[in-house]
Amino acid sequence: MRTDSALQRPPSATNASAPARIELRGAAKRFAAHGAEIQALSAIDLSVQPHEFVALVGPSGCGKSTVLNLVAGLLNPSEGAVLYSGKPVAGLNRSVGYMTQKDTVLPWRTAESNVGIALELKCRRVTAQARKDRVARMIDLVGLNGFEKHFPAELSGGMRKRVALARTLIYEPETLLMDEPFGALDAQLKLLMQDQLQTLTQMARMTVLFVTHDLAEAIALADRVVVFSPRPGRIRTVRTVDLPRPRDIFNVRFSTAFARLHEELWNELKDGIALGTNV
Amino acid sequence: MTRKTWRPVGGRGLLAWQAVVLLLLFAAWELAARYWDPTWTSSPLRVVERLIDLLKGDLYRHLAVTFGEIAAGVLIGGFLGSITGLWLGASRFLGVLLRPMVVTLYNVPLVTLAPLFIVWFGFGMESKVVLVAISAFFVVFFNAFSGAQKVDQDLLQNLHLMGANRLETFVRVVVPASMAWIVAGLKIALPYALVAATTGEMLAARDGLGSLLAKAAARFDMTGVYSVLLILMLVGMSIANAAVRVENYLLRWRRANG
Repeated sequence: MRTDSALQRPPSATNASAPARIELRGAAKRFAAHGAEIQALSAIDLSVQPHEFVALVGPSGCGKSTVLNLVAGLLNPSEGAVLYSGKPVAGLNRSVGYMTQKDTVLPWRTAESNVGIALELKCRRVTAQARKDRVARMIDLVGLNGFEKHFPAELSGGMRKRVALARTLIYEPETLLMDEPFGALDAQLKLLMQDQLQTLTQMARMTVLFVTHDLAEAIALADRVVVFSPRPGRIRTVRTVDLPRPRDIFNVRFSTAFARLHEELWNELKDGIALGTNV
Repeated sequence: MTRKTWRPVGGRGLLAWQAVVLLLLFAAWELAARYWDPTWTSSPLRVVERLIDLLKGDLYRHLAVTFGEIAAGVLIGGFLGSITGLWLGASRFLGVLLRPMVVTLYNVPLVTLAPLFIVWFGFGMESKVVLVAISAFFVVFFNAFSGAQKVDQDLLQNLHLMGANRLETFVRVVVPASMAWIVAGLKIALPYALVAATTGEMLAARDGLGSLLAKAAARFDMTGVYSVLLILMLVGMSIANAAVRVENYLLRWRRANG
């Protein structure tokens, strides 16, 4: 695909008949555990358009991560179908970049070597020089200057998260799946990372499916927020966030429009949590 | 009974005491040899004299032969052991299919194979290299196998999602993730390699420390036997020392832990 500096993706003409980037049709997931069957995700319908940023929020254990695993092809739906660009997901979905909740930075590689690993693979190999340039730019973007030669064990948790983010963004996957990527970061750094994520995903016109339990983060970043109810997860509300882009991540949360959205969605989320504790 | 607490000892004081103990032991040996017949016990001074003779003579050739056999054998056996171990460990089916066969082969005592290899490969270094390689193969195989089985599946999946093929995930995740296990295996393999090489040399060889030892023993030359044993001890120590250095280099990314 793209081999050099092109972070920009040409805007495709919005075509009403084009298939959704991601589509879940009555997709449900059950797990067998200790002889019992656990419903992780009730049959849900959800579609994400190309270049759209969709945030999934909900209490823990509501199946948000299961949705990401289904889209990545790490899991198969027990019922229904999961489509990617109109085709059923079969096996690993190589069109997505997946930043899991778990730290999957390779401990034996330095920060810069971790960031560049995707560009070493045969499917998108670039010259050593091009890789070096892009890695340097990415390191700069996530603010890891001075830590290029450090091994993950020498980095803080927040820095490792940034390495993981840079490693996923560097190859500009068509779709980005993120599972609470900034959960472990302090408030200040979280805002910085959200800002960088907005810039990068807008520039590269990526489709993003973003799991979080931070409602403010979801509203600040997403075009649409999907609120999940507790287990068995089902979609409670889908709300379009009509805040104009580019958003000022640092101040957007003080606007009245943001406050209204936050209150509205918080009530949905709160009811869900209360419901969950009763069950 | 009276002392309840042990103070930690170390540093120069400890080293000095160890030197004293060693000197006393050597002195006792020397005195015993002067008091009784030194034919069977030899004596430290005789050993020192012999060591000097050996150093002036062809010790280097024997050292080179033994070291060469160990180096070549460990490299060949370690490489094959790593590759097969990682391969079988990373593939569930192959592991279940072939590991029991490797375990069965491992049950043959290695020394008993020495005559066979001497018949096949002759009196030269080759038969000893094969012996060393086989002993290294098994130790490294089992370690690499465990290492490959314990590779974090999330790391593999992540690289697969990036578009890596099986060879790429093998080279970039399975091998480095198992490196600690392989290096640990090599460290265990080295002393065994010395055993394998010298055993082979004692049975049939013209050169090498083992043949030197066997020839001395055949002549009831106890001074010669002790001298070679002392050299073998030093060889073993230097090999272990080198192994630690190699380990520290290969696994330098782990040093930050702690």
